Amino acid sequence: MNSKVNFTFNGTQYSGEEGQSVAAALLNSGVTSLRSTRFNGEPRTIFCGIGICFDCVVKIDGVANQRACLIAITEGSQIESSQ
Amino acid sequence: MIAIIGAGPAGLAAARAIALAGFAVTVIDAAQKPGGQYWRHRSTVDGYKATRSEKYFSTVMGNPLVTYINGAQVWSATRSEKSIYINYLQSGVEKRLTCTDLILTTGAYDRSLPFTGWDKPGSMTPGAAQALLKGHGVIAGKSIVISGTGPFLLPVAVGLAAGGAKVEGVFEANSPLRWLRSPLALLLNPEKALELLYYLKQFRRYSIPVRFGKAVTEFTGHSVRISDVNSDMTIKKTNVREIDCNVIATGWGFVPDITLGGILGCNQVVDKDGTVVFSVDNNQRSSIENIWIAGEATGIGGSDLALAEGHIAGLSVIGKRIPFSLNFSKFRKRLFARALQVSYPVNPGWKKWLNRQTLICRCEEVSCGQILDSVEELKAEDARTSKLFTRAGMGLCQGRICSRNVAEIIGESKELRVSDSERIAYSNRPIAAPISLGTLGDGISSK
Repeated sequence: MNSKVNFTFNGTQYSGEEGQSVAAALLNSGVTSLRSTRFNGEPRTIFCGIGICFDCVVKIDGVANQRACLIAITEGSQIESSQ
Repeated sequence: MIAIIGAGPAGLAAARAIALAGFAVTVIDAAQKPGGQYWRHRSTVDGYKATRSEKYFSTVMGNPLVTYINGAQVWSATRSEKSIYINYLQSGVEKRLTCTDLILTTGAYDRSLPFTGWDKPGSMTPGAAQALLKGHGVIAGKSIVISGTGPFLLPVAVGLAAGGAKVEGVFEANSPLRWLRSPLALLLNPEKALELLYYLKQFRRYSIPVRFGKAVTEFTGHSVRISDVNSDMTIKKTNVREIDCNVIATGWGFVPDITLGGILGCNQVVDKDGTVVFSVDNNQRSSIENIWIAGEATGIGGSDLALAEGHIAGLSVIGKRIPFSLNFSKFRKRLFARALQVSYPVNPGWKKWLNRQTLICRCEEVSCGQILDSVEELKAEDARTSKLFTRAGMGLCQGRICSRNVAEIIGESKELRVSDSERIAYSNRPIAAPISLGTLGDGISSK
């Protein structure tokens, strides 16, 4: 069993397994939208799952445009929806 | 110094051949773990012949002749007369690797076709569902519908069902009778029949319904609408069924990732399935003398073919003769890959599913209507001009998802065939991964 990793998404506390991507951990926690689109404000989350489509981009610890499907969760990291 | 970019089946087979012959090799890969997109090995549910990958992991990883650089995003490469310089980012730090010989095994990603609702959360590629399951131990949804075309839909469906999801059905657009057109490929690849039997058994075990000549043409967010499709992919009968589900995974074959070889100037051609691939010789050598290319980037063919090609590339780099048995193995697997193209074509009628509101470019939120208007009213003649008017393909993904679809939509509206040069133009991009301007500047100035 992998150890538990705690992080926040838009200020709410979540946890996932060590090694899981941000997108996987949030999807597993029931989060169905990682951001809203720029023009139409539509919800978006994981689509290609392997870093090609950039639909799942989020801000991680202040760094914008990080692909949530590629970046592994780390203890205490603060994740926010990209604007 | 020999370097390999990519640690999927082709890259690992090349590294294995080189290391077993007593030569040093450096393998550089974007992922944290080796195996690429196909060999993911976290889950207990690994599918058909999953243990085969162990032979490659055990002889490559931990071999003192193999230097393994993981988590490395290669964003560019340049070359001088004798050397190739690979620029990459590892944990945000810029690094550079210099080699004399390079093997590119950059793989492929799912091809997506647009349909109403494909941009809603819950719609994803089969590759995403597979990556979530095998890479991260997460089942994409409770109830899942799988649609599109190609044999990859089968392992994804079985994996998800074994993981505990309710797979409501697999809707394959093409007819299985198309296989009758490739008797020689079937005859020379008898082990594929065993693989098919394995999947049929699993489908029965998990009670997964499979239907042919059907495609998902709309996703509402909590259900999908299925249409009967003709062999040219036009709709025969619309909305024949509605199925409740929270995930729809659609995939229409694969797109080879050719960016790095394109940046290095390796010759490309348009394959029969319309994908842009590298032209290589019998030993997998590209048009550039010290660059070899193996796996999906030379033509979509699956992991079996990638293993043979990687093995050949590895032997060729170190000047070894390629045994006849290996060449024959590649030949018959290449024949099977051709049969896959014949059996699972993505015929042009899919554009009839679209309406003016259907989103085509996900990044810049460009609809089908906007693209058609750029042709009708603004006189765009190709994808590049349309892109300048509509921004389709100018977002973060740099057109990786939509550019082929945009070109084909424009081609059809003008009743023109998309030319090979246009296919090559929209398939290439100057930088392989997004980087900061500072990194770009440093990368250029330290040439």
